[in-house]
Amino acid sequence: MTGQNMATELSEISTFIHSIPPFDSLPKQVLAQLVRELTINYVRKGDYLPPKGVNEPRLYILRKGAISCLSSDGELVSRLGEGDLCDAFYHHDEQTLSNSKITSESPLQVQTDEDCLLYSVKAAVLDEIGARFPSISDYFSQNSAQRLKNKMSQVNEEAILSSTLMNTAVSNFYQSPIASINAEKTIQQAAMQMNEEGYSCLVVIDKENPVGIVTDKDIRRRCVATGLATSAAISEIMTRDMYTIEVKSNAYDALMMMTAKHIHHLPVTRHDQLVGMVTVTDLINNEGHNAINLSSIIHKARTIAELKEISQLLPKLQIRLAKLGSSADHVGKSISAITMAFTKRLIAMAEYKYGQAPVPYAWLAAGSQARQEQLAHSDQDNAIIICNSMKPYDDAWFESLATFVCDGLAECGFIYCPGDIMATNPKWRQPQKMWHKYFTDWVETPSPKALLNSSIFFDLETVYGDVSLLNQVRKKLLHKTQNNTLFIAHLTKNALNLRPPLGFFRDFVLKQNGKHRATLDLKNNGIAPVVDLARIYALSEGISAVNTIERIQQAAGTPSLSKESAENLIDAYEFLGMLRVEHQAKELMRGKSADNFLSPKEISKLEQGHLKDAFKVIKNLQDARQSSY
Amino acid sequence: MPSASLINSPMFSWLLGYEAKRKLLLKKAPAGVLHDFLSVPLPNINTPIDKVAILAVDFETTGLNAKQDKLLSVGYITLQQQQISLKSSYHQIIKSKAQLEESNVIIHHITDSQKEQGQALATVVASLLQALAGKVMLVHFARIEKQFLTEACYELYGMAPSFPMIDTLALAKRRLDKRDVAYDPSELRLASLRHKIQLPEHHGHNALNDAIATAELFMAQMSKVNKDGKITLKDVLL
Repeated sequence: MTGQNMATELSEISTFIHSIPPFDSLPKQVLAQLVRELTINYVRKGDYLPPKGVNEPRLYILRKGAISCLSSDGELVSRLGEGDLCDAFYHHDEQTLSNSKITSESPLQVQTDEDCLLYSVKAAVLDEIGARFPSISDYFSQNSAQRLKNKMSQVNEEAILSSTLMNTAVSNFYQSPIASINAEKTIQQAAMQMNEEGYSCLVVIDKENPVGIVTDKDIRRRCVATGLATSAAISEIMTRDMYTIEVKSNAYDALMMMTAKHIHHLPVTRHDQLVGMVTVTDLINNEGHNAINLSSIIHKARTIAELKEISQLLPKLQIRLAKLGSSADHVGKSISAITMAFTKRLIAMAEYKYGQAPVPYAWLAAGSQARQEQLAHSDQDNAIIICNSMKPYDDAWFESLATFVCDGLAECGFIYCPGDIMATNPKWRQPQKMWHKYFTDWVETPSPKALLNSSIFFDLETVYGDVSLLNQVRKKLLHKTQNNTLFIAHLTKNALNLRPPLGFFRDFVLKQNGKHRATLDLKNNGIAPVVDLARIYALSEGISAVNTIERIQQAAGTPSLSKESAENLIDAYEFLGMLRVEHQAKELMRGKSADNFLSPKEISKLEQGHLKDAFKVIKNLQDARQSSY
Repeated sequence: MPSASLINSPMFSWLLGYEAKRKLLLKKAPAGVLHDFLSVPLPNINTPIDKVAILAVDFETTGLNAKQDKLLSVGYITLQQQQISLKSSYHQIIKSKAQLEESNVIIHHITDSQKEQGQALATVVASLLQALAGKVMLVHFARIEKQFLTEACYELYGMAPSFPMIDTLALAKRRLDKRDVAYDPSELRLASLRHKIQLPEHHGHNALNDAIATAELFMAQMSKVNKDGKITLKDVLL
């Protein structure tokens, strides 16, 4: 390089390098020296690093494109994009590198996800600069240690979250034999066959060869929705390019393939012969074992610190379940089960610390956890019901228990209930007779205000302890509510305070406060009204279930709710729940805390239409409640 | 013995090939820069393109006519073993008495006072020929570099070699023409082609930046079409 203009000639590259830590700390002259030591490579998508013919240790700087770093067993360790540094091939110790080359046991595999433009610099050059500028050498020595630590914990997390599917072959899941249909049959015949045989997917066969696949969704999307005659040949609507998976593959790969291709059915082959079919549902049901995996680890935790560490997996579990397309119901049940496991473990720790309870009791979950509709790291709502034989001085023990457990839950990310509905509040830590009295007062002399605060107690579940304590209270309560129209009227009045914003997309009746401007509050405007309706149905019909879907199902066909309305309401509720779970997964993936504020831009026109329909269903049923009093 | 002008005639080029021409001209060249340049063999046209030593070159000029207009600056960088080494980069402004036209000053950001700091044409061309010896020249839109370098060689040495060249514009054009779909010629500009295959924005109209940008574009083009490594120099030569 010659010329007085050196600094300006490569100014673009210099500016780019200068924007990346730790190079931002280098003086201009040293930066210029570093820049002229760079080489530029172009690596096509799917190729591995280092580029062909490069053997010496180098630091890579991603100028354009994306790369994935995979551990030796194929787990994704990190994904790098523009401006990121890749130090997988930057070793201070030449020996390490040559060894790993010989045994080809490089600890990381680095593969490009897109075509990449890479800058790189020899480790020797960087070491020389690092000798003069410790900020550089510190950065890389620190970082590799940190990165290794991160990598290890990530790999473990992945293992916990996916062990069941990773270790299980597809052969454990597939249904055999495969249901097939001749290509000349009509769409209607296919639909009839699906109904009769209970399959949602058929493989289309032409002259004994599989030529495509058709699902009930295809019939809806490509026939009914487009107005195609049901007398048309099934081959008109089938998907021709059929993905398949070998029977030896593990279930995780099958799931990833289906997720990536947005398909729900995957034919399984053995030596290229179709042998069966695996569905997303089969695999997701198995994913439920994640909750069991996690629960068993929670059960083994010895300290609150250990529990806290495990709790950090919760958002990841939620993201994963959402990505797999689990229903909100399934996500809620999984997360609630895990919260329950945390609570039980903390109670066991407290009992170990403070000794056995002086009298029988039960630890209760209230609200979303009791309904099994909890999402990651929501607030804690809990209470204690104690046997009537307790003496006044016994409360000290229960207070210690409550404090230990609630503090522990808070440590694990379940924030303290803003309304102080927690066992630490003496009001919610009472003998059974007091609970009887509470409910009697609420039901017999209801005031809307009192009900607003206490409606959460109409959704209670025993987490730990003597189940009969709560069951007796509930039985008495349901008997009272069933025949008390005044109480139901008050409850209804409360519930109707939350109305779905029907004009959401037209009039933009949106939340106008602060950072949630122009968004829809999915929880308060959509989900909570359904939960409230379901509670009203349950209390008026004497239904003991607390889960919203179960309440609606059991209320279906009673005077409170027609079967048809129940079906519509469940559809609306599941749709809103799905939007919420997907929205939260997006937020969590961006490292934000999950909220319930959906921007209309986030969803497609079609989903906007569904949302409108869901709101209409809820409003109609709310109106029906209102007019009955 | 054919004369230098005959050697450069299109008919003769077609008959002879550049390596034969190099040997012919070497016998006539006076000792010095040009002789040194000519004494290094050029790569065989059957060499796989990945193995060919390439020099990406860009000129900034006062205009498009090599007979009237002047060279303002030269930038180049080597592309070897599929990588660009910034250490090999060169950029030099050329000192010349020619009046700078105002419109071009705006494009190239080279002012008269800067130009006074430049080096003589002979020095810059000598550096270029030294770097180019044994390499294939890579340019975007070959006409400018070909004509201006040929003209400079005649001016300095009284004769001009024929330079084997790869033109990223011609390669892109060949691909577009093959598709048999109408396209806007502006799609063939360096910045447009880079944008299309998602290479980063670059600051154009600086000879070195454009040379690097051209080399990156060529790497990207080859990565698309040369997956099996079978493309040889003759497949891409202008």
